[in-house]
Amino acid sequence: MKYLSICSISFVNLISISLSCFLLSLYFLLNNMIYFIEWEVVSLNSMSIVMTFLLDWMSLLFMSFVLMIASLVIFYSKEYMSSDENINRFIMLVLMFVLSMMLLIISPNLISILLGWDGLGLVSYCLVIYFQNIKSYNAGMLTALSNRIGDVALLLAIAWMLNYGSWNYIFYLEVMQNEFEMLMIGSLVMLAAMTKSAQIPFSSWLPAAMAAPTPVSALVHSSTLVTAGVYLLIRFNIILSTSWLGQLLLLLSGLTMFMAGLGANFEFDLKKIIALSTLSQLGLMMSILSMGFYKLAMFHLLTHALFKALLFMCAGAIIHNMNNSQDIRLMGGLSIHMPLTSACFNVSNLALCGMPFLAGFYSKDMILEIVSISNINMFSFFLYFFSTGLTVSYSFRLVYYSMTGDLNCGSLNMLNDESWVMLRGMLGLLIMSIIGGSMLNWLIFPIPYMICLPSYLKLLTLFVCIFGGLSGYLISMTNLYSLNKSLLNYNLVTFLGSMWFMPYISTYGMIFYPLNYGQLVVKSFDQGWSEYFGGQHLYYKLTNYSKTLFLMHNNSLKIYLMLFVFWILILFNFLLFL
Amino acid sequence: MLFITIMIIGTLITVTSNSWLGAWMGLEINLLSFIPLLSDNNNLMSTEASLKYFLTQALASTVLLFSSILLMLKNNMNNEINESFTSMIIMSALLLKSGAAPFHFWFPNMMEGLTWMNALMLMTWQKIAPLMLISYLNIKNLLLISVILSVVIGAIGGLNQTSLRKLMAFSSINHLGWMLSSLMISESIWLIYFLFYSFLSFILTFMFNIFKLFHLNQLFSWFVSSKILKFSLFMNFLSLGGLPPFLGFLPKWLVIQQLTLCNQYFLLTLMMMSTLITLFFYLRICYSAFMLNYFENNWVMEMNMNSNNTNLYLIMTFFSIFGLFLISLFFFMF
Repeated sequence: MKYLSICSISFVNLISISLSCFLLSLYFLLNNMIYFIEWEVVSLNSMSIVMTFLLDWMSLLFMSFVLMIASLVIFYSKEYMSSDENINRFIMLVLMFVLSMMLLIISPNLISILLGWDGLGLVSYCLVIYFQNIKSYNAGMLTALSNRIGDVALLLAIAWMLNYGSWNYIFYLEVMQNEFEMLMIGSLVMLAAMTKSAQIPFSSWLPAAMAAPTPVSALVHSSTLVTAGVYLLIRFNIILSTSWLGQLLLLLSGLTMFMAGLGANFEFDLKKIIALSTLSQLGLMMSILSMGFYKLAMFHLLTHALFKALLFMCAGAIIHNMNNSQDIRLMGGLSIHMPLTSACFNVSNLALCGMPFLAGFYSKDMILEIVSISNINMFSFFLYFFSTGLTVSYSFRLVYYSMTGDLNCGSLNMLNDESWVMLRGMLGLLIMSIIGGSMLNWLIFPIPYMICLPSYLKLLTLFVCIFGGLSGYLISMTNLYSLNKSLLNYNLVTFLGSMWFMPYISTYGMIFYPLNYGQLVVKSFDQGWSEYFGGQHLYYKLTNYSKTLFLMHNNSLKIYLMLFVFWILILFNFLLFL
Repeated sequence: MLFITIMIIGTLITVTSNSWLGAWMGLEINLLSFIPLLSDNNNLMSTEASLKYFLTQALASTVLLFSSILLMLKNNMNNEINESFTSMIIMSALLLKSGAAPFHFWFPNMMEGLTWMNALMLMTWQKIAPLMLISYLNIKNLLLISVILSVVIGAIGGLNQTSLRKLMAFSSINHLGWMLSSLMISESIWLIYFLFYSFLSFILTFMFNIFKLFHLNQLFSWFVSSKILKFSLFMNFLSLGGLPPFLGFLPKWLVIQQLTLCNQYFLLTLMMMSTLITLFFYLRICYSAFMLNYFENNWVMEMNMNSNNTNLYLIMTFFSIFGLFLISLFFFMF
């Protein structure tokens, strides 16, 4: 059983499917082919509910990436979750997640996509509450309920789609793009995508979902689940670029990117920092998508999936070695103690920052340059570049805290870098996050983008990055008495570090009044008035009537017989005298 | 055995007679043969009960005889009974005989002294003759009052009851209210109601008789060794109470429908509300048994019930529980 564990089997299966998907996608890309498969489930009143599969290079490539990351994550979980009693259940949940992701990716039909969409919501809830404690339950509930808003929006979109006689939206997007109904559908789908991809105002669940096991965070909450919304909008991109929806989305996603970047700079939880950086990258994808460059969004989605999964897997290895502590203030000097993990960590961090020739560089640099040559307002432009700087800033801050200096954890630690199963999983992704960007770049874009910029705009990205890295170092620098100088501005830091109070707004803010009024109603009605005048009082009264009745029954039989005779006499009197 | 035969003959005479005098004769024969069945030399309670029964019934018979003579005097031997006060007197006498509400006071007291089989006869067979005679009387006001009082008293009286016999007595009064109301509309519905009621009471009294159960706490502690018997017994309780999926709901359903068709909404509302109260206390009994949170005795004896009885009981219980479904199946069969 040592070699034939569920992890190994699933690893082999997933990686082989992933490779075949990849090769198929190359074939499709080369021949410019699309396969469209429909299976009619039920036909009712000329509306047919169909299961639709759309196989083109985009879905196949995305599937191959998801499967590859999933296979490596499962391989990695073999060691990470090895001391877990229910590892089989865990792996099965992950596999179910992968399955629903597949269903989501290949369905261009609003009804059949719901299968994958709801599957994602359900399975991700099960995965978030996997470590069964109050914190996970709360996080899971927040995740599930935030996603439920999107599910409802999707259901509403299905209802609107009834107008057109079919739910295969890809056929209607272009033809109906100027109609009000299509605008409604588009806005509802956008709402759904925003909840899934944790855009403002639904951002708070993504950092909360870090209560899940780290392999889950690597697979679900960084590279695949959260990109489902982006992917859905990529399919819907025509609506976005032809209506005000795109402008709204540009604003919201830009703000998300900005907010998450700021938040990550003041967070001390390792996984939450990475989650916030995921959020910021999601904002980047969404915003470039809302400007109409869906291929760029797809490109960044794929490269981001690679290095973000790697980042999370490194974080998991570090957390293992830190005795399950996630606080970056307790880390330090890890580059000496865990060199290989640190190398992976740094590569993925640099890829995230857009270090030239790593995976993130190709997509991110291209996005920023496209933004520079596009016709875009000053505010969005500011958000883009400032957030890029913030990305570098929090990445360097993370490196500063965890990699450099001395170890700040307890005295007795056994740091090691010899968890080979985990490391092998990580090294697989390491290669991908080094070469992935250039590989995809050559694959996806048959014709190079023509970018013509003045030198100050061309250098702006570089300048912003350098400045960001410097500020990242400065805000986290501590002075002699270990006082973080940025904390002097405490109110501002609290505001920015808590995601602009969004977790409070979407939990306490939503439920405060309903909960209080609910308590009031329960106390004064359910346990008060309606209990007193309802059941209890009725019961009391009936019991009393019963007592009175038995008072009457207590008499002797002759009294009753006498009364009967009297009654007969009365009747007789009436008979005689009337 | 002789007395039972005579008792049956008495009832049949009443039911088949075409004059009040014949009906009175049948009732007397019935009464006089039922008294020896009731009395048991070794038991003071049953003697007292038989005496009570005799006194009440004799008084009622006297009044019945008196009023029927009166009727004949007034109407020249004609059997016309549209004369309201005369027929009200007859009605009162018959209500007293059957134990309906304003004249029901002898009924629970008497039930307390009977064995279960006698109680069953009192609850079912002894009602046939008076109810049949009531159906001849075309007078509504007294009957309406009696129906309302019967259902209400039957419901409220059973609420605080711990004696099973009294509980059954009040339940019988409640059902009698329903039967009287069905009598106002159609005789066939009354017949159906009566048959179902007799069947359901028979199942319960059959079990009570075998296990000599007379009080509620015996119910909880007795059936420790067989949960099936216990559950089915309580299901029969619910069936008697008229809870929808069981057979007991069917006659109530018919009556409810007929009363609705006759626009008797006020009466119907009262009846259903009071039946809800009966259902409440049946449920309250069953609840603690179904939920299994009752105290069990450790010294409970083994139950000995021979297999014939068990089979009979289980077959009847099957019909009592699934009867409504079966009847709807028959409906689709034809």
